[in-house]
Amino acid sequence: MSRVELNTSAPNFTLNDFNGKSVSLADFAGKKNVVVVFNRGFF
Amino acid sequence: MAQLRQDYQQFVKLDTEIVVAGPEKAEAFRDYWAKERLPFIGLPDPEHHVLKLYGQEVKLFKLGRLPAQMLIDKSGYVRFVHYGHSMSDIPPNQEIIDLIAMNM
Repeated sequence: MSRVELNTSAPNFTLNDFNGKSVSLADFAGKKNVVVVFNRGFF
Repeated sequence: MAQLRQDYQQFVKLDTEIVVAGPEKAEAFRDYWAKERLPFIGLPDPEHHVLKLYGQEVKLFKLGRLPAQMLIDKSGYVRFVHYGHSMSDIPPNQEIIDLIAMNM
């Protein structure tokens, strides 16, 4: 499986948050750093 | 996740948002966020679009996914990446906070 590499451009993604609001990685460009956490599952 | 909540303000001060993606459905996210009072963004990804795009590993026989964390800076570049080797292999938040502070 492909993995994200250090110091490369992060692949953009768009998903709806749990309230249905669209969130794209690109929304943060030039404004905020983003920590993306892939959770192992909450339960 | 509790640790992330505890450290959230430190990330905010460093112009950093936290986005948590997982395979659960929106309803499960909503319940968990309410129960744990989590302040950051939760992205349900039951169809695994982003999970696959970012290469989160699935341990089929352990019935779970391995944790992974990335820091993406304002220019869209990956500045930190950690793919866990086990369920508990999660780097301390401080490591990421220090890295952001150093690069500001």
